[in-house]
Amino acid sequence: MRVALIGAGQIARQHLSCLKTLPGVQIVAICDLSPAVAESIAERYAVPAWFTDHAVMLREVKPEVVHITTPPTSHFRLAMDAMQAGAHVLVEKPATAALTELEQLVRYANERQLVLTEDYNYVFNHATREIARWVDNGALGAVVHVDVLMALNLFGPGGFADPNARHPALALAGGALADFLPHLASLAHRFAGVHRRAHAIWTKRRPSILPYDEMHAVVEGERATATLGFSANAQPDAFWLRVFGERAQATTNLFETRLTFERLRDGPKPLQPLKNGLEEARAVRRAAIATLMRKFKPGPGAYDGMWHLLTGTYEALARGTALPVPIENVIAVNRMVEALKPAEAGS
Amino acid sequence: MRVLVTGANGFLGRSVVQALLAQGHTVRAMVRPATAVESLGWPASVEIVRGDLRSTRELASAFDRVDALIHLAAAVTGGEDAMFASTVSGTERLLAAMAGTSCRRIVLASSFAVYDWSAIHGTLDETSPLEAGADLYRRDGYSIAKSWQERVTRRFAAAHGWDLTVLRPGFIWGRDHGYLAACGQQIGRLHVVIGPFSRMPLTHVDNCADLFARVVADPRAAGHTFNVVDGPGERIWTYLGNHLKRSGEGGLRVPFPYTVAFGLVRLTFATLFKRNEKLPHVLIPCRFESRLKPLRFTNRRARELLGWRPPFGYEECLRRSYG
Repeated sequence: MRVALIGAGQIARQHLSCLKTLPGVQIVAICDLSPAVAESIAERYAVPAWFTDHAVMLREVKPEVVHITTPPTSHFRLAMDAMQAGAHVLVEKPATAALTELEQLVRYANERQLVLTEDYNYVFNHATREIARWVDNGALGAVVHVDVLMALNLFGPGGFADPNARHPALALAGGALADFLPHLASLAHRFAGVHRRAHAIWTKRRPSILPYDEMHAVVEGERATATLGFSANAQPDAFWLRVFGERAQATTNLFETRLTFERLRDGPKPLQPLKNGLEEARAVRRAAIATLMRKFKPGPGAYDGMWHLLTGTYEALARGTALPVPIENVIAVNRMVEALKPAEAGS
Repeated sequence: MRVLVTGANGFLGRSVVQALLAQGHTVRAMVRPATAVESLGWPASVEIVRGDLRSTRELASAFDRVDALIHLAAAVTGGEDAMFASTVSGTERLLAAMAGTSCRRIVLASSFAVYDWSAIHGTLDETSPLEAGADLYRRDGYSIAKSWQERVTRRFAAAHGWDLTVLRPGFIWGRDHGYLAACGQQIGRLHVVIGPFSRMPLTHVDNCADLFARVVADPRAAGHTFNVVDGPGERIWTYLGNHLKRSGEGGLRVPFPYTVAFGLVRLTFATLFKRNEKLPHVLIPCRFESRLKPLRFTNRRARELLGWRPPFGYEECLRRSYG
């Protein structure tokens, strides 16, 4: 399968590292507005051709699959151009800046019978998959509530709040935080289902060029409720996912490998906290070491979810089977994202 | 002459501005939009232009009536991709803007990081091999970005017929920049000095700046590349001792033989760590060598071609840095 990438920045390199390991995948070209970025990435990953104009690339190399890994406001045009050239599209999150753009892409993909999918890498992290397994085999019981909270310092030099160079994500409604909404929404969607209503509160705690630095929301899903949050102020950095079931509760920090369960147990009730506590302590200790060791090992590291998703996507494309992120999920997640967006532009 | 200096408020840039002023040039200093210039103490004659090479749409006006560009701007912190975008794509944008102006003279601050340290034995000089091909991407983000910055600049200069001088400084030191990567590994108050008798390719920031200010106006420098070191370099043991004493940091130096340390790094990299390139720099052989390999260093080319002598000796540099 002939694959090309548009956008050769940090996230593109994660895609390339994974794609190089996939059987049947041939990376045929890479495109970036910066010639040096495009050429250096081509040299580094032994990609045979590089371009600075995506239209020329699409015309000349005719890829079967295109990954869109550019800043989000460019996704719509690039994804449409790639599909018009006959390619399936895997777009980085957020798929588009506005829901209406996504709906146009979906209509076009359906007309042309092309695959359009979005990267929800945290849904495919090992810990998330393990929680999903507990849900699917009944060990967690029916999901009652999901809590997703990302704490990430956006104020560091060269980051989203750099006053010298305006980050492209600031063009999104809600600013830099909107770049992370698909992560929160895709996890909420995975465990709570399609949203029925949502209420989000967007605030700003400290002066910066970010229009908002906090977002906290309540969502009613078809199967459970969810609370979603993003904090640029709470430290240390962490990405907490808690799934509350009728028989057990799962907690993971998706920036690390920590995953713990607390569950109803047989035996005397007073001993339950002790057993859960000891089990949790063991799991936290193991995860602390595993998180450190992950840094010393080759392979996906913190991007194991993306590797799992890409592997599954290419297997599905080759066999014509269901995708890990089917188009219905992309629409549902983006509708939730749209419902979470702030009513005002912020300041 | 009127000289545009990018990265003018950086560690090297501040000294270059002073050296240019001392030699009677008019300085146009490019600083980022949010930079506070008042605290830099520049005279009113310094023309300030605000711009960020990553994002400022219009850079050509910065070249208005400019005779020469000294391009110092480069990212020294941040992730690998952010460094590349800032240093290399920023250079592409700057030089694309310059191409539409009458400025035809450029002096680029490159680095010793562009050399292939693993392939060099004996003396490192301007003829030593550069890191290239797949091996380049085993180096750290700074080395990758500086190699590409030099590559991009040479291509632009060749395409537009500019007079280019590339200066490759060794390890630049000075006030608040005394502790260098080559000093070894700090563990609390202990400083493990790897290869204590190796010499460091040192250039004091004021000596380095002096050469930048000289070459920009010296036609003999056009088309040449110069390594910038003050001389053969101090031994790590001596330099670190001076730093710890004069900075008041104190601490205990522990010598460790280079060959043993490098042997261990190579062995663990190939076996225990399975050639993983996400390790700390000191555990990756080629990055270890680019910081610590015992080589000899010389400024012979700058001396012979330009008659350059670093204006300040080591003792004077110590006074300037710690006095």
